[in-house]
Amino acid sequence: MAEVRRKTGKPLQVNPHKLSQPMGATLAFLGVDRCMPLMHGAQGCASFTKVMFTRHFCEPIALQTTAVTDVTAVLDGGDYSITESIKNIGDKVCPALIGVHTTGLTETKGDDLRGVASKIEAPLVYVNTPDYQGGLESGWTLTVQALIEQLTEPCERTDARKVVLVPHVSMQPIEVEKLREFIEAFGFEVVAVPDLSSSLDNHLGEKQASLSGGGVTVAELEGLADAGAVVTVGASVKPVGATLQKKNPAIRHRHFDHVSGLVGTDELVAWLLETSARDTPPAVVERWRKRLQDAMLDSHFSIGQTRFLLVAEPDHLAAMAASLREVGGKVALAIATVDSPVLGDIEADRVIVGDLEDAEQLRDDYDIIIGNFHTEALAHRVGKRAVMRGFPNYEEIGSALKNDVLYEGGAYFLFDIANAAERMRESEVHHARERIKQQGAAA
Amino acid sequence: MEGLLVSSKPKIKELLVESACEHNKGHKKGPCNTPTPGATTGGCALDGAQIALFPFADAAHLIHGPMSCVGGAWETRLTPTSWPGRDLTQTGFATDINTNDVVFSGEKKLAEAIDHVITHYAPEAVFVYSTCVTALTGDDIDAVCRQGSERHGTPCVPVHAPGFVGAKNLGSRIAGEAVLRHLIGTKEPEDTTPFDINLIGEHNNTGELWRYRHLLEELGIRVRSTFSGDGRIASIRTAHRAKLNVIVCAKSLISMTRKMEEQYGIPWISCSFYGMTDTSNSILAIAEALGDADLIARTRALIAREEARLEEKLIPYRAVFAGKKAVLNTGGNKSWSIASALQDLGIEVVATSVRKSTEADKAKARQYLGEDAILMTSPASQQAQVIDDTGAHLLLAGGRSLYTAIKKRIAFTDVNQEKKKSYGGYDGLLVLAEDLKNSLQNPVFELVDRKAPWQK
Ligand code: SF4
Repeated sequence: MAEVRRKTGKPLQVNPHKLSQPMGATLAFLGVDRCMPLMHGAQGCASFTKVMFTRHFCEPIALQTTAVTDVTAVLDGGDYSITESIKNIGDKVCPALIGVHTTGLTETKGDDLRGVASKIEAPLVYVNTPDYQGGLESGWTLTVQALIEQLTEPCERTDARKVVLVPHVSMQPIEVEKLREFIEAFGFEVVAVPDLSSSLDNHLGEKQASLSGGGVTVAELEGLADAGAVVTVGASVKPVGATLQKKNPAIRHRHFDHVSGLVGTDELVAWLLETSARDTPPAVVERWRKRLQDAMLDSHFSIGQTRFLLVAEPDHLAAMAASLREVGGKVALAIATVDSPVLGDIEADRVIVGDLEDAEQLRDDYDIIIGNFHTEALAHRVGKRAVMRGFPNYEEIGSALKNDVLYEGGAYFLFDIANAAERMRESEVHHARERIKQQGAAA
Repeated sequence: MEGLLVSSKPKIKELLVESACEHNKGHKKGPCNTPTPGATTGGCALDGAQIALFPFADAAHLIHGPMSCVGGAWETRLTPTSWPGRDLTQTGFATDINTNDVVFSGEKKLAEAIDHVITHYAPEAVFVYSTCVTALTGDDIDAVCRQGSERHGTPCVPVHAPGFVGAKNLGSRIAGEAVLRHLIGTKEPEDTTPFDINLIGEHNNTGELWRYRHLLEELGIRVRSTFSGDGRIASIRTAHRAKLNVIVCAKSLISMTRKMEEQYGIPWISCSFYGMTDTSNSILAIAEALGDADLIARTRALIAREEARLEEKLIPYRAVFAGKKAVLNTGGNKSWSIASALQDLGIEVVATSVRKSTEADKAKARQYLGEDAILMTSPASQQAQVIDDTGAHLLLAGGRSLYTAIKKRIAFTDVNQEKKKSYGGYDGLLVLAEDLKNSLQNPVFELVDRKAPWQK
């Protein structure tokens, strides 16, 4: 197993890829239909977050701020800024839900969110997400838990056909959709929580972004507890299973660290077959499995001789490393944003919590980088090639429709990576040839 | 030495009631920076301070706070530099404080972070930015910076712009204040000329500065320092010896130039290098402010030459733009500066947004656009109707308005495109012309709203 370093051991982050807990909360609320995420803090955090997701998804993003100032910071325990915000939001739009999430500022001054929330009439879910703790994954998970704790009604019966799907934060909108449809193909009804597949999937709509345009509805959230099973994908969202079971202990919980690659998808299929009491999967699933098998053979030669640096959120690292390992890719180094229980299970030579300065120092260890847009500049500095994955990606368009999961996405992923590795080797050969030519000309 | 002992925190109140802030005049609500809970957009003071200072690529920018303050935002500012060393504009530094730092103190971590940055990246200076949490917990960044400067002999400049003090504009003023207090006047230049100027507020976004700097140099006008596009710490330290401060499209920095006038007797003028007319006017204004008859004459000749050169290159575009009308929906000084560039291209600007504009911006917009133009006060709800009424062919706005253009089936250009491409100076106008031509000729805006086969 991998050598794991769980602490950065530095007094700072240099070229960080870590993102904050409130950012994860915002994104989770954006997967709820007609929601207005309301970040409780000074105006900048919401602005940075909005700009980041707008650029990543190429979509307008609904997000408001309580705009705490130095004056309100001293005098107000959150009552004024939150109630004022809700009033002002209500003047313009009529959200089905307001998602209040805190920041370091309002946590440090100790605002009593629960107390404030209890006095408010508007439909509201609150969550404490100080940004000096955790990161994108924990902000997402805490928010999903808050949605369930505060909205879902307890229930005693279960509907065996109904499945609640909880994806981890790094799954892009199309991946959530593919996974939902995959499970549905086995005869289930699936509610994804949150569901970015209908809100941030690059569809043309009335793009005023006054509210999130799509996602799981409040009514669906209220009625989650009659599900037969809850499926969590990604170690970070595993605790959500227990959260839902508190509403109905009869719900079964099935957890997967990821649903990537052949083995990862096989495990999901095995469970779906068992739970649906089917002997064979739908024909299209079988077909895609064969295509993935073929893709694995087609890509193994290229990927098998390549050493990788992965830079991502922990759950995303686990998923990508598993796919690459299946075809012999050597994950020399995986750099996580934050610590996570899954780090010890990642199939890599070395797993560290760190930043891109670490990546730069260890440049001799890898050939290809897979990570967010910051790794593009890193690749230039260290003379390697980068493939964009994860948040944020400002370099490319179409991130929301990039599918790496299940048999189908697994095949696309391997093609992408193998092609990048081949192009890298091509250009190395080209440069070597040029050098030889020049030497010949000089002699 | 006494100055060092008192806090360098600027007096926020003073900066807020800065007389140069137009928004304050006749406003009942108080300072323009008071944000409304639940109805506020735009970045915080820290964001503004970063925008103002990040272009110093030879200085490290260390944010003392959690990842919200830096996470998605570093390496996003396209301000190129000719600095031969490592480009620190594109290098993110943050102390990434944790619960421990909040409960006890983040000062020791900050000091170690400064050591790390100076040891590994050898910057000419370190800007240390406080943020909401570290300002609230009371970390003494002045002291940590002072000790850091002493320990390393590299200036460490505290920037007190936590987001809760206000919006971007205030942050950029605070940044100016910090540079004025800690850097300007700390070094004497080796030589000076009668035509030394500082460019204040020019960030060299997308290389804008490089579109006109060579013309100034050709005239013998020397850019002694910039605040801060393609800037150097060593030059800004000598900025007090310039003969003229030129503010480039940045009202928020008037307080800085006013103080430099008081302290060092440097006069200032305000300029814009957007479009041909504004570029010519600005170059001439600089020459006139420097007050040398020969320089002024040479400047007029250079302007004539450049305009003629540009006019010739614009000939192929004239036919494309003839009779075309545009609606402009963007904020602040862009409401007239972009309008001026469009007019240079022969496009009629029939409406512009004056939402959030100052009285001066409104007056300018009126002056540039003429009596018949529509000044939109709530463009989001007005622009569709305005397009219908005026028969406009082109909408220039932020991405959010794209849908309006599609519904109206007219061409759309994202004004924020200028964050990626430079439209400034004479040559930038050609780039703008090309982009607008491509928009006008692109079928996508008509096609994308085509009825689906199953729609009646
Ligand atoms: S508002 Fe405060 S905490 Fe938020 S980004 Fe700005 S400085 Fe950081």
